[in-house]
Amino acid sequence: MINLAFKDIKHSFTKFIITAISVGILLGIVIIMIGVYRGMIFDAKELVKDIKADLWVVQQDTLGPFAQTSKVHEDLKDRISYQDGVKYAEGITFQNIQMQNSYGAFKVMLVGYDPLGKIKVINPNKIIAGRALKNEHYEIVVSQKTHYKLGEKIKLGRDYYTVVGITKNTVSNGGDYLMFVSLKDAQILQFTYTNERIRSDEARGIKGDNPHLVNAVIAKLKDGYNPKIVAKNIEDATHKTVFTKGEQIKLLLQRVIKKSSKQIGMFTAILIIVSIVIIALIIYTMTLEKIKEISILKLIGISNLKIIKMIMQETLILGILAFISGNIFARLIAGKFPKRVVLELGDAWALFAVIIVASIFASVFGVYKVLKTDPSEAIGG
Amino acid sequence: MSDEFLMKNGEKQMNNIAIKVENLVKKFGKGENEVTVINGADFTLKKGEFAALVAPSGAGKTTLLMMIGCVLEPTSGRIEIGGEVVYDNKWTVKDDRALRRKKLGFIFQAHYLIPFLNVEENVSLLPYENGEPEKVVKPRVKGLLDYLGVGDKLKNMPSELSGGQNQRVAIARALANNPSIILADEPTAALDTKRSVDVVKLLRKIAKEKEVTIIMVTHDDRLLPYCDKVLTIVDKKVEVKEQLEGVII
Ligand SMILES: Nc1ncnc2c1ncn2[C@@H]1O[C@H](COP(=O)(O)OP(=O)(O)O)[C@@H](O)[C@H]1O
Ligand SMILES: [Mg+2]
Repeated sequence: MINLAFKDIKHSFTKFIITAISVGILLGIVIIMIGVYRGMIFDAKELVKDIKADLWVVQQDTLGPFAQTSKVHEDLKDRISYQDGVKYAEGITFQNIQMQNSYGAFKVMLVGYDPLGKIKVINPNKIIAGRALKNEHYEIVVSQKTHYKLGEKIKLGRDYYTVVGITKNTVSNGGDYLMFVSLKDAQILQFTYTNERIRSDEARGIKGDNPHLVNAVIAKLKDGYNPKIVAKNIEDATHKTVFTKGEQIKLLLQRVIKKSSKQIGMFTAILIIVSIVIIALIIYTMTLEKIKEISILKLIGISNLKIIKMIMQETLILGILAFISGNIFARLIAGKFPKRVVLELGDAWALFAVIIVASIFASVFGVYKVLKTDPSEAIGG
Repeated sequence: MSDEFLMKNGEKQMNNIAIKVENLVKKFGKGENEVTVINGADFTLKKGEFAALVAPSGAGKTTLLMMIGCVLEPTSGRIEIGGEVVYDNKWTVKDDRALRRKKLGFIFQAHYLIPFLNVEENVSLLPYENGEPEKVVKPRVKGLLDYLGVGDKLKNMPSELSGGQNQRVAIARALANNPSIILADEPTAALDTKRSVDVVKLLRKIAKEKEVTIIMVTHDDRLLPYCDKVLTIVDKKVEVKEQLEGVII
């Protein structure tokens, strides 16, 4: 048997390969878009997953601290730690700041936590140089991508902070780099000189630099306690809002990144449709280019089935080659993106299925042309 | 008429008919633009008969061949191919494509080879499509190409061959599926006299040895002595001249 598709591709090999690679680059962009979407979801969860807390206690009726601003007094942690089932409770702050160094300007989420506390806020596996915070003042741990070096001094507010640790793959829920300072330093950076601080301090008879506010109190539970039940009890006792770790992650996905992920989803869907239209056009053009040969084949007695098989096989081969080159392209450039791009095998296969089905649909126009071609066209004219 | 024929000549003669055309009419266009090209063709060709079709340019020779080949739809009339009525005022052929690839061989003025297939593949296409095995097809194709003087071009692409070489490959393709009828439209137009005579001799040999019926359009009078019959188109009607004398065998 003679496979017409293989013979035709072999005959115009370079052209076919270039076409496949071009479509592949388009598919590569689709793959990257899906990866960016996955990256957003991954990043959104990462910080909450890294912080080894079971409960998040935030200002009443807020969705804090990420989806909504939340402020609670630091001493709340003492009340929480007395609750049944709670092992430790500590204050934590989050603040978005702009940084600038020789690598440019970038957004950073500054996390303040108690260096002497028992709840691990920095995932120890992610510290690639130096250590976590130890002292209560003027130490800082930074994400590797900020390009700060160990021992480097960074000015924040009115003070200089020494880099004591570097982390890898630590990001905020929005995909920004992280910097960690002690809770005391963070409180000064975030709350000093605000009216709120002055009022609350006066009410409590506190005088001094530290406003004693935090964005949330995180708690670690004793073994064997159900976080949902403990959360409910704390809510009843303190009139605060309490989220379990799972609820906090859900909140991040639903409230914080929903719109942007929808945005990317739409964009991806449009790109997929555009790719399908382009594949259809290419197949149709390839069929038109062969219309003379097709009418000769029909004239000498080759069946429609055999000719349609040729068109379909060429379409599938084009789709497969484009898919392979698209994946290679995506993998080559994924690392160059500033935020996380997560290329999942499952997504690649799903796209593959879509492309194959789409290719078959795309060849419909070509097949229609085959069926309509009059064999006498070969000798006519 | 066919009943009479049956009674006179019996079953055997009836089976002997390869092409039977009755009252065939072909008009192109509609209304004011209507042109009648063939206005009545009635003839019968027996198995193994080699007929020439000679008529001026534009007389309707290609049109007639294409109607017999079930490629072009007649306006009215009746066509029978190898005992099967393929047209009776409308198409009655079940699968014209299968009829062509199993029973017919086409040769055109131009070679019409498939540019992305090499010589061997072009010639093997139909036999393979008919389900013939490689061990039968390969030697037959090689033999045909050898006979036509292009046996050394098996793996060449048509673009690498001269016009005359391609035409001979095209003739091999028309013979490769062992057709019972060959419709040849000026097959030797692209060949020199020596090659033309060789090809016509080959066609005659095939007609006689394999009982293949051939209609060959030609403008070359020197080829007529190799044919059994001469068909012409006069005043849009097809006329038949038996050529009993002077046939070269
Ligand atoms: N598709 C067509 N539409 C209209 N007229 C046609 C068509 N095909 C052929 N003809 C006309 O029919 C006549 C016979 O054509 P053709 O069979 O090709 O002649 P020949 O092969 O004898 O030179 C010509 O006058 C030609 O213009
Ligand atoms: Mg003609």
